[in-house]
Amino acid sequence: MTLSDKEIIVKDLTFRYKEQKDRNAIEGINLEVEKGEFIVIMGPSGAGKSTLAQCLNGLIPHFTKGHYSGEVVVRGIKVKETPVSKMAKEIGLVFQDFEAQLFSTNTKLEIAFGPENFGVPREEIEEIIRRVLKIVNLERLEGRPPSTLSGGQKQRLAIGSVLACMPSILCMDEPTTDLDPIGKIGVFNIARKLHEEKELTLIIVEHETEEALNADRIILMEKGKIIKDGKPREVLKEVDLMEKIGLMPLQIPKYFSQVSNLEKADLPLTYEEGVQKFKELGLQIDEGKYQEILRREDEREKRYKDVIIQAKDVEYVYSNGTKALDGINLEIREGEFIALLGHNGSGKTTLAKHFNCLLKPTRGSVIVYGKDTKNSNVYEIGNYVGYAFQNPDHQIFADTVYDEIAFGPRMRGCTEEEVKERVAEALKAVDMEGFEKEDPFALSKGERQRIAVASILAARPKVIILDEPTTGLDYKEQKRMMELVKRLNESGHTIIMITHTMWIVAEYAHKVAVMRDGKIEMYGKVRDVFKEEERLLELSLKPPSIVSLSNRLGKTFLSVEEMVSCTKR
Amino acid sequence: MEMFLYMDKDSILHKLDPRTKIFIMLISFAIALMFSSLSLLLILSFLVILYGALGKVLSNLKRIRVILIMIAIMSVILWALTYPGTTRLWGPVTKEGIIYGIAIGIKFDVMIIAGMIFLSSTKIEEISLGLVKLGIPYRPAFAFSTAVRLVPMIVSTSYIITQAQKSRGLDLDTGNILQRIRKYIPLLIPVLISVIRQANILAMALESKGFGYSDKRTSYLEIKFEVRDYAFLAVALLILIVAVYFKFKYRL
Repeated sequence: MTLSDKEIIVKDLTFRYKEQKDRNAIEGINLEVEKGEFIVIMGPSGAGKSTLAQCLNGLIPHFTKGHYSGEVVVRGIKVKETPVSKMAKEIGLVFQDFEAQLFSTNTKLEIAFGPENFGVPREEIEEIIRRVLKIVNLERLEGRPPSTLSGGQKQRLAIGSVLACMPSILCMDEPTTDLDPIGKIGVFNIARKLHEEKELTLIIVEHETEEALNADRIILMEKGKIIKDGKPREVLKEVDLMEKIGLMPLQIPKYFSQVSNLEKADLPLTYEEGVQKFKELGLQIDEGKYQEILRREDEREKRYKDVIIQAKDVEYVYSNGTKALDGINLEIREGEFIALLGHNGSGKTTLAKHFNCLLKPTRGSVIVYGKDTKNSNVYEIGNYVGYAFQNPDHQIFADTVYDEIAFGPRMRGCTEEEVKERVAEALKAVDMEGFEKEDPFALSKGERQRIAVASILAARPKVIILDEPTTGLDYKEQKRMMELVKRLNESGHTIIMITHTMWIVAEYAHKVAVMRDGKIEMYGKVRDVFKEEERLLELSLKPPSIVSLSNRLGKTFLSVEEMVSCTKR
Repeated sequence: MEMFLYMDKDSILHKLDPRTKIFIMLISFAIALMFSSLSLLLILSFLVILYGALGKVLSNLKRIRVILIMIAIMSVILWALTYPGTTRLWGPVTKEGIIYGIAIGIKFDVMIIAGMIFLSSTKIEEISLGLVKLGIPYRPAFAFSTAVRLVPMIVSTSYIITQAQKSRGLDLDTGNILQRIRKYIPLLIPVLISVIRQANILAMALESKGFGYSDKRTSYLEIKFEVRDYAFLAVALLILIVAVYFKFKYRL
């Protein structure tokens, strides 16, 4: 049955979705994968990464149909001629959305589902469950319903349920995109463990550049094509190429490529290597320029106006008895840009929902623009505070972008003339003028996210709360989104942002509150908080590598640009 | 937000074979449908509630209390106005009408409660396995149990969506009935779309784990009839026989 000893052979693979008019989703892909390899596929949105992943296990062309040409052979089996359920024995596929792929009553039954399909006898299933639970580190949670698990645990269970089919190849499509930092670490640990055993071939579609360092091979994709295929230490030094196609380049090589004439091959990758290189090259930090940055920051601090949101000893207990907030004290001044950091379940979202009155404190009080939220409601507070939810698809409903954004003003009884004015203003703010007649559902995720923000802006709130506004966006879209948020802040809006992305906090927020178990553990200017790297690591938050590098050198820089501007050659 | 109706408790009801519980549920449906007499329906509700208490799952009824109360009230109002009674109380409302309304309300409520007890004490996998053992092919059995699972998923998604739209100024509490119905469109469309999207991923995940690989499927869960199953079935059947006897003997 073997045509070759390769695990995967892809020959001239081209696929176009039925609804896709302008171009192919993937085009002319050629790829060979050896047994035991660990491959990371990277690329901006729309590069065809997921399409390629689904071609490997046959979901394309069996489940999702379209124009398909070329050939995929997995472990000697022609994928096009084999049903997906048969391929499942050879190659397992884990999806990004862990909520939707779990469906059983408890973890054991979830893992048992695959082996049951293959007719594995009961006693052996018991044995498989035991082994899989150990690999995905869920041993003590075997009887738990999946709905009670954390995001990271759910994704680990999803991986486990696929591993239970005992495939030779495991392919994961953005498994960590929706996870908090702890969840991400958990998934990466499993990947590393599986790779060490050398039995399994591992293919991961991933945005996290730093984790890609552990792979054997990185494949860069853009517009349906493979544009680079090589060892991580080579590919990750292609700073300009990565930036050009819209991927986040590693900060350390980016910094050194700007302050030195080092050859690509000599660029350091990690901050440890960076510290050494910094000394070798005899680089120095310009103290005067650094003080100037600090001074500007102090000035910004002074420009904030009155306290507009005030949380006093806030406690919140959910109806099932869980205490989500435990003694929160926080003041937010007009003009601030504050980030709420912390793991899922730390209380960030619960706290933010108090600021627009979606929730009211069990004990303590929240004062918004002089109003105690206890005596108010979402509708009234909504005149001051807008709240953009994490997933734009949870709010988009209209046929046109215009109607979508007009919803808020119309609900508030604005005249059609005023509605028109507000929609135009909001679309301008999110840089999407000319989209009025478009169907919001046909837009890209990044565009839908911006429409969601515009629909909040149309109510002309003074404060904007953004719940993970960049989750699921690629680097280019993330930057675009954040530039938009920055402009809103500069034009006078107070910004409260929930996020997991550390470089975004570093580069854009002014202040940060780090939460754990319903308490604020750290609070202050971003630079001051990020200086305390050890405390952050204790809270399982890893600062961006440029921050780590500069901390080692006795200063705290928040972005590559900042550090470059203060470097004396 | 709790996703599943199933309550993981240690009770004799949870240990029963799912087939037993399916039969008991069907028998309570049958008896409820046979009678419209208030006193007999009250006896039936007492038995059904006792059965639920054995399974320690009655607290789940809190989640549907609004529906139960609404059905009871609607039924009383409807029958009070239309039932051809003789003892006039006020306008067209008669004593017989009110009693009949209460009875019909209980009839529907008791069926919902019986269904709820079944779903609260039986794992989804047990339901599909039970159906398979009763001779239903695996695919439809699985489809049925997935549909049951979908309900709480829709509920929790709608919860998030309602909060999102309220934050944008959606005000569900004002306006006349037509305006209010229109206000549900911003809730319905995102709910529908996310459910369809999630169902699509679920379908892909199922195939990727070998769903439909062969017709011979093993089961990790084991179900078999024990002494307690025969005992419960015997009692339920006895009650059914007594009910049928009364029905024909006394034409209740």
